[in-house]
Amino acid sequence: MKRILACVLAVVMVFALAACGAPAAEDSSSPSASAGSSSSPSASASAPASDFDSTREISVVSREDGSGTRGAFIELFGIEEKGEDGTKTDKTTKEAAIANRTDVMLTNIAGNEYAIGYVSLGSLNETVKALKIDGAEATAENVKNGTYKVSRPFNIATKGEPTGLAKDFINFILSKEGQEVVSGDYIAVNDNAEAFKSDNSTGKIVIAGSSSVSPVMEKLVEAYKAINTGAEIEIQTNDSTAGMTAAMDGTCDIGMASRELKDSELAELTPTQIAIDGIAVIVNNANPLEELDNAAVKSIYTGEATTWDQIIK
Amino acid sequence: MKQFRESAMRLVFFIAALTSILAVLLICVFLFANGIPAMSKVGFFDFILGENWAPQDVPPSFGILPMILGSVYITAGALIIGVPIGILTAVFLAKYCPQRAHRILKPAVDLLAGIPSVVYGFFGLVVLVPFVRDNFGGDGSSILTASILLGIMILPTIVSVSESAIRAVPQEYYENAVALGATHERAVFRVVLPAAKSGVFASVVLGVGRAIGEAMAVIMVAGNQARMPAGLLKGIRTLTTNIVTEMGYAADLHREVLIATGVVLFVFILIINISFSLIKRRQK
Repeated sequence: MKRILACVLAVVMVFALAACGAPAAEDSSSPSASAGSSSSPSASASAPASDFDSTREISVVSREDGSGTRGAFIELFGIEEKGEDGTKTDKTTKEAAIANRTDVMLTNIAGNEYAIGYVSLGSLNETVKALKIDGAEATAENVKNGTYKVSRPFNIATKGEPTGLAKDFINFILSKEGQEVVSGDYIAVNDNAEAFKSDNSTGKIVIAGSSSVSPVMEKLVEAYKAINTGAEIEIQTNDSTAGMTAAMDGTCDIGMASRELKDSELAELTPTQIAIDGIAVIVNNANPLEELDNAAVKSIYTGEATTWDQIIK
Repeated sequence: MKQFRESAMRLVFFIAALTSILAVLLICVFLFANGIPAMSKVGFFDFILGENWAPQDVPPSFGILPMILGSVYITAGALIIGVPIGILTAVFLAKYCPQRAHRILKPAVDLLAGIPSVVYGFFGLVVLVPFVRDNFGGDGSSILTASILLGIMILPTIVSVSESAIRAVPQEYYENAVALGATHERAVFRVVLPAAKSGVFASVVLGVGRAIGEAMAVIMVAGNQARMPAGLLKGIRTLTTNIVTEMGYAADLHREVLIATGVVLFVFILIINISFSLIKRRQK
């Protein structure tokens, strides 16, 4: 009886969860207006979606403090204020909901019509819509040619000089084959890299850190294992600061960060840049907004603009 | 030989008891040894009553009052939702439920207890967050959503313990009440339930412990904003979710402060348990 009941309840729960997944609204495809000046917040929208209520509050979603994506985002958009005396203050609105991983951020935005967030360009998918920033579309090509300016480096770091399997794997990442894997969704750091020759190191290494870097790292590990079958590589996904802390503590062999390393981290770690990535500002597919300028993003994230009608003019 | 076997078993039981006590002692020592210095570095009142949590700022701020209030609000909300439903369910199962229905309902309640908190969290994220957003307003990730979810999560604890307590009341109590002219409802609610109040209260305390200590489900539905509570439909961060969110990357003073947050949580639960013991003693 208990088994039957357990099965029935499991089936009911699965159907309930399936039924509750609201279908994403169709992506607006109307051309956007030209970019506004960066001095005053401006935005452009396609023809307003029939049921999008622009008087509603903006649901601001940010990442946790340790996130490299957040660190780069608040710096690039001027949300972090730096005093002359060396003080740093993150002015992100206290109303911002905190997503502690890239996939959680995507789920939050995809499930809320009135939400805005940001993710790694390489993690972007069709469940959300990336906005143009200052007239430039969020693409790897635009990051590479400099028109999309919201970008940051992907770094890996080791405690001292890497040896054995860690060294061989890093050599692979920086090789022609590794950079080809990177250039799928990101920007390679070396287009003229040499072909890879493995020393067939064996053993196990642990790579930990940024949830923005881990998608490309998974692809790199897969490609490397095809060449060096004796390698065992484990990826632990958390955030950039956790990755750097783990590398410093020796609990992982390679740390991943989606930002530049801090001075305190550089004192103990040896960084290697493996890619360049953009940060896409994302909204729900039902949102008619197509474009924002730098000042508008800042006004949303500092809490100056609180409703969509202040943005969608 | 029999004497030796008995002594050996007594020793095994004694070691088992010591292990439990040792575990509690080690946790206490670890928490207080690492947490108290952090409180003194930050300043006790700045730590407990500070309204700003900004560990990455230069200089950082470590005020945990928003998280303390967040934990209190969400736990209180969970109790408001979970306790009446839980106790009434327990009464139904113990005194009203037909045997055939009991064979279905009891395993269902037990099954609720076995669902991992991350699954509850996912259910909350997919079902409750949109439900609250569409019906009550706000963005759905709120104190209300977390309270509803925790209210559901504490149900199996309250139902199971309360039902056992109600069933433990001697049948004579009920029969005597009915013999004196009480209706079934009156006998159950005025005689049996008050007689079982010690067990029912214990179930509520266990529910409080579950609610105040929950992190994984809450982190997915509460919004996780480290700021003072601003209404039922606004998000919040609790003591547990603060630790879970930041312990992975915290270092130095930040890490010590998170351990100190654990001390505060530990003291909270200690106060609840002591209060329960005092109330029980007073009732005797």
